[in-house]
Amino acid sequence: MKSKKNRLFIIAFTLPCALSLFIMYLYPIVRTVIMSFFGVESVTARMSEWSFNGIANYQKIFSSPTFHQAIRNMALIWIVGGILVLSFALLFAVILTSGIRFKKFFRAAIYLPNVISAVALATMWIQYIYNQEYGLLNKFLEALGLEGKNWMGTDMKFWAMLVAFVFGAVGYYMLIFINGIERISGDIFEAATIDGANKIQQFFSITMPLLRSIFKTNITFWSINCISFFLWSKMFAPVNTEASTVVPVVYLYDTVFGTTGNVTRDAGAGAAIGVVLSLFIAVVYFIMNKVIKDDDLEF
Amino acid sequence: MRKKEKVVYREKINWKKEAALLPGYAIVLIWIMFTAAFLFWIIAASLSTSREIFSGNVFKFATGIHFENYVNAWAASNVSVFFGNSLMYAVVTCVCVILISAPAAYVLSRYTFLGRKPMKFSLILAMSIPEVMIIMPIYSLSAQYHIKGRILLMILYIFLRVPFTTTYLLNFFASLSKSYEEAATIDGCTPAKTFWQIMLPLVQPALITVTIFNFLSVWNEFFMALIFASSSDMTPVGVGLLQIVNGMKYTGDYGGLFAAVIIVFLPTFLLYIFLSEKIISGVTGGGVKG
Repeated sequence: MKSKKNRLFIIAFTLPCALSLFIMYLYPIVRTVIMSFFGVESVTARMSEWSFNGIANYQKIFSSPTFHQAIRNMALIWIVGGILVLSFALLFAVILTSGIRFKKFFRAAIYLPNVISAVALATMWIQYIYNQEYGLLNKFLEALGLEGKNWMGTDMKFWAMLVAFVFGAVGYYMLIFINGIERISGDIFEAATIDGANKIQQFFSITMPLLRSIFKTNITFWSINCISFFLWSKMFAPVNTEASTVVPVVYLYDTVFGTTGNVTRDAGAGAAIGVVLSLFIAVVYFIMNKVIKDDDLEF
Repeated sequence: MRKKEKVVYREKINWKKEAALLPGYAIVLIWIMFTAAFLFWIIAASLSTSREIFSGNVFKFATGIHFENYVNAWAASNVSVFFGNSLMYAVVTCVCVILISAPAAYVLSRYTFLGRKPMKFSLILAMSIPEVMIIMPIYSLSAQYHIKGRILLMILYIFLRVPFTTTYLLNFFASLSKSYEEAATIDGCTPAKTFWQIMLPLVQPALITVTIFNFLSVWNEFFMALIFASSSDMTPVGVGLLQIVNGMKYTGDYGGLFAAVIIVFLPTFLLYIFLSEKIISGVTGGGVKG
């Protein structure tokens, strides 16, 4: 009797959560995967209107020049942006854990861009920093006697976008690094100091190796962040998608929902892009687990 | 005299230490000063005319402080509608997510039953699935069942926040002592009553942290809103701001644009000023495992 009552209680308490997992994740994921092997024009098309066409959707996206461009841009954001973000984040984390004053204030100020609306942040960058006439960047260059540039022009747009994105992202990875560094026991550094190791030696021989699993976390999160990169690209090219800023999710969005100039839609191909991006994430997880083994070191 | 010497001595030690840290201070200060200059300029621009902005004289306020930019943005540019929508989405989501996630997190952390492990695993998996994998079926489902407008967005936001919230709360419930429940059972409390009256209040700090994160997340959400907010009366602030930016080439009201940016930015900024310690410790305390 009691166990039956208990079972009822467990079901009642977990059902809403299980239902939301089913409706929001399980069913859509399965359907998207199936959809990626079918010819589906409109997203709202019923399953009976789908026509099986094997891997044609995948062939279509992999032969699309826009998709190639999108992958190239994503890879560039991943590598260049990744190096910048993780270097700045690590630098700030090391500085803030070195016994600096006002640590809490600095930490909060650097993390700030992560809390405010990214749309507002992007708007500030585009409308102020990069503005050709009154923008901060051109005013600064002018003061140095250099000529200003049109940062939102085709040639500079990608880099303008990348820098703005990096600025906003650093704080988050910094917090994870700080958390990792603070968990390393102070005794290790004390012992190293007694043995005559200077700060830089300590950083490379103690901090870095012990931060291995933190690096793993950060690289994984950064990769997922890059794979789902969308908002900044949309903000830097709000009306028409441009080759300089296109990324896979933008390409997917255009393929599924159409663009202003192009009304042909292909939800099947969109699903294929989604599956490819999910595979990227799976590969990232797999590689990170293989390459950087979770250390058994207790510290 | 002696006392004075002592003070000087202490300062000397400090200065030596501070001097070694000087490069660190310099790097961090440059970064923060850039952020601050950036924000102050936007605030000043939001109080200036378009002409002043273009001539680069936003800090002079030659024609006075133009609060009407805010009035214009709020009323004419529809910011009041976007703001109201976002507030409603965020508040409703925060409440409903707790009602769904807290009971589930409690049961998942305290009881062993069939399907417990798969469910925990699914929650973690759901957090790493890109949103592009789920939007298309959701779009067709919502069209098929004629669910649209604000209700649809609210349902989506609630569902989207369930995996994170449940996983976050799970760890907190797991850390509570079993003796609370044992005592409650002896006193004749049903499991449900024990949860609502005893266990839930005990994780209040975690509830607050996770609610802050849910609020920030919904307030700043963009992708779902872009796809599912089909008309401007249900648009939240993120997409609304994009619409204002896109309309700029017709209106040319730069003061109003920056005022709109400030209005969108202010709620989360104020939240952050008061709760930054809680937010920062929450970032590394919950979902992230090092």
